[in-house]
Amino acid sequence: MQQEYKSKSYSHVFKIILILIAVLGLGVAVRAMVMPKTFGEFGHYRGSAIEDEMNRPIRNGTNASCLVCHPYIRQMHLEGVHNTVSCEFCHGPMADHVKDGKVIADLPMKQGEEIKKLCLRCHNQIIRARPKESIKMISMPQHLEEKHVRIDHNCNQCHNVHAPLMWVNQAKAIVGAGGDSK
Amino acid sequence: MMDVIQKEMSRDRRAFIKNVLSGTIAGSLLLVIPAGAMDLGNIPEQITGMRDDTEPFITKRKFAFIVDITRCIGCGSCCVADKNEYQVPDGMYRTWVERYVIDDEDNVYVDSPNGGLDGYQEPRKDIPHPVRDTFFVPKLCNMCEHPSCVQVCPVGATYQTDDGFVLIDAKRCVACGYCIQACPYSVRFINPKTKTADKCTWCYHRVRKGLLPVCVNVCPVQARKFGDLNDKESEVYKILHQPHVVSILKPGMGNKPSLHYVGLRREVV
Repeated sequence: MQQEYKSKSYSHVFKIILILIAVLGLGVAVRAMVMPKTFGEFGHYRGSAIEDEMNRPIRNGTNASCLVCHPYIRQMHLEGVHNTVSCEFCHGPMADHVKDGKVIADLPMKQGEEIKKLCLRCHNQIIRARPKESIKMISMPQHLEEKHVRIDHNCNQCHNVHAPLMWVNQAKAIVGAGGDSK
Repeated sequence: MMDVIQKEMSRDRRAFIKNVLSGTIAGSLLLVIPAGAMDLGNIPEQITGMRDDTEPFITKRKFAFIVDITRCIGCGSCCVADKNEYQVPDGMYRTWVERYVIDDEDNVYVDSPNGGLDGYQEPRKDIPHPVRDTFFVPKLCNMCEHPSCVQVCPVGATYQTDDGFVLIDAKRCVACGYCIQACPYSVRFINPKTKTADKCTWCYHRVRKGLLPVCVNVCPVQARKFGDLNDKESEVYKILHQPHVVSILKPGMGNKPSLHYVGLRREVV
């Protein structure tokens, strides 16, 4: 009874198989076209992405790299208590200054109120959040009153920004330790 | 010495004179051209031996990042340096510094004006009770051992290298934002410039060239430390293997961050 329903022709099966192979082939071709070459080299990501990330340009140097060309500042900066402060924090990134070993532009020097603002980023006592033992804290304008100087004085009039105690110590040495400059 | 010169002269006078002349010219030129000019490519190495490693992954080292809360003064040097290095548009931060203020009633107030980029110039004025304590907490990518951001990325744009860095392939990222939602530490954002996900990379490009991450390099009080845990002499190894109050953020998430905090307070975790 079942025999009469069975067809002798298999052409429709071949057609389906052919179509499946074509779709598979197309899929493989599209995958090869769309997927980046190095995808899957190390894992489920583009292998050459690591190299791309590695080749990101370095924009900040180090203090050592800045001080190679600035020997006078070097001596002052390294001898002072600010020797851990980064040059580029105040002056800007090295990439804006040097390119391929040549100076391309001057970095801005902070002036006036900008200097005071930079100083107070670290030394402002009123923030009350800083570990006491690490750096010196001052409150403004009490500090100026204590030192008997005009209230509109800027920090860099007494403190060399690179070596904050340099001038203070020099002045102390001149007037003697018992002088009234404290 | 003299016989060598004599011998050389007698061998070929013309060549000898030529050599001496060119040497003199080259020497005088060296004096004229400033030889000290430092380029960003030849900055002295900060992580010794890094430049000798050319393999795709530095698996012999295990990098760790430590932030010391007890040292941070909230100056924002790290944020400034980070901005200079990556030039991320305003309002987005690869690293930022949070200020925690605790008053006498044990209320905790957290703020981070402009991500700490401008430093903290003013105390908080909106706190009704006397302030008991204030401290700063720098935040950056935790470089998890089990990063949930990598797990959710549908296009393989976020990946973890064999040496533990979690990085982003900006060419593949479609900015779907799954990773931003998946990150338990909220370090990810869509960079408006590249229109892709972005985050702190622990300065992978600097580290691979033997330099410290830029925030570590500029920190004036060494609140940020970066080093190799396989090197038993390194500072990070000593901190993590000696009695210190060390903790990680959100340990319950199970992401196992490689970023550790020294002196982290219960208000932060």
